[in-house]
Amino acid sequence: MADENPEWREWMRAAQAGDQARYAALLTAVLPPLRRAARARWPRAGAAEIEDAVQETLLALHLSRHLYDPSRPFLPFLFGIMRFRGGDAMRRTRRAATRETALDDLPETSAALATNSKVEETLDAGTLRAAVERLPPGQRQAVALTKLQEMSLEEASAASGLSVTALKVATHRGIKALRKLLDGSD
Amino acid sequence: METEQLVARLSADLAPVRRLPAPGVRLGWWLLASVPAAGAVAVGYGLRPDLAARFADPAFVVEFGAAALTGLVGAYAALCAGLPDQPGWKLWLPAAPMLLWLLTLGRQCLDVWLRIGPRGLAVTDDLMCLPAIALGGLVPALAIVVLLRRGGRFRSLHACFCGGIGAAALGAAALRLYHPQDAAVMVLVWQVGSVALLTLVAGPLGRLLLGTAERRPGFLAR
Repeated sequence: MADENPEWREWMRAAQAGDQARYAALLTAVLPPLRRAARARWPRAGAAEIEDAVQETLLALHLSRHLYDPSRPFLPFLFGIMRFRGGDAMRRTRRAATRETALDDLPETSAALATNSKVEETLDAGTLRAAVERLPPGQRQAVALTKLQEMSLEEASAASGLSVTALKVATHRGIKALRKLLDGSD
Repeated sequence: METEQLVARLSADLAPVRRLPAPGVRLGWWLLASVPAAGAVAVGYGLRPDLAARFADPAFVVEFGAAALTGLVGAYAALCAGLPDQPGWKLWLPAAPMLLWLLTLGRQCLDVWLRIGPRGLAVTDDLMCLPAIALGGLVPALAIVVLLRRGGRFRSLHACFCGGIGAAALGAAALRLYHPQDAAVMVLVWQVGSVALLTLVAGPLGRLLLGTAERRPGFLAR
C-alpha cells in the first residue's frame, strides 16, 4: 500500500507491548491516510460524518490491537477496521438523520414549532371578535379598549368617559362573559 | 470529542495485550479439541463393522473426506472472519468442499437412478441423523465459540455460520464412521440436510453467545 510506512508495524508491535509513546505516534501518523481513505470510501459524506467514522475506527483499532499480526502490513488491518466499524458509524449517522429535523432552520420560539399555528390563530381571532360582539355595550367597550386595543385604564377612561373603577368592573365582567361564550367555563 | 483528544485518551488508556495467534494455529487448537470429541461420539455409538471395507471404496473416501474437509475449512473461515485484514474470499472457502460433498452424493444418486430408476431414490425415515450430528458437533461448536470470543467481533454472523457449518460437518463425518447408512439419497437428505439445518440455527445462536460489541474503554463507557 502506497501510504504504508514500514515503521508502523514496529510501532503497532510496541503498542501491543504497552508502549504509549509509539502508540500515540502511530495513531497521529495514520490520521491523514485514514481520513483520505474515509473520504474516498464515502465521497458524499460530510466532514463531521467522516470524522465520526475516523474516530470509530481508532476506537475499534484500540479494542482490536491484539488481533494485529506484525508480520502483515498495518494499513490493510486499519482500513479493514474502517470498512466495518467506520461503516457502522456512517450507517448510524444516516439512520439518525432520517429521523431528525434540523432545528437551525426554524425560528427560536417554541410557538414556531406548533403546526398550523397561523390557521389556528386566524380562527381564534375570528371567534373572539364574534364573542366580543355579543357582549352588552358597556362590557364590549371596556374589553375592546383595555384588552383588544391594549390601552391602560387611564387611557381607556379618557377615551370612553367612564371612571377607572367602572372600566375595571366592566372589563372583569366582560372577560367572564367571554369565557362563558367561548368554552362554557366560569 | 476532537480526534486529537481521542488519540491522547486512547494512548493514555493503553495496556499491554497478548497477541492473538494466526488462524492456522487456532485451527490446530480447534482440531485438538474437536477431533477427539467427535471420535469419542463415534466410538461411543460403536464403529460400523464394515468400516475398513468402506475406506477401501474411493467414493466413500471422497465423500467422507469432503465432509471432514467442510468441517475443517468451515472452522478456518470462521476464525478468519473475525479478523479485519483477512480477505473476503476466505469466508467463502467452505463452499468448495461443500460443493464437492454435494457433487459426490449427487453423482452417486444419478448412478442409482440410472441403474435402478426412481425406485432407488426412495427416502425413508432416518431421524437419528439430526441428534447424532448435533451430538458429534457439540464440542466442535463450543470450541469454535470459545475461540471466536477471544478473536475479533468483525463479520460475527458470517463467522458463526462458518463455525456452525464446520462443527456440523465434522459431526456428519463422524456419523459416517458408525451409522451404516450408505444410500446416497439418504445421506444427502438426512445428513447433509441436518448439517444445513444445524448451520442455520448455529449462525444466530452463535452470534448471541458471542455478543457483537467490544468493551469500550472506561472514559467512553456509555
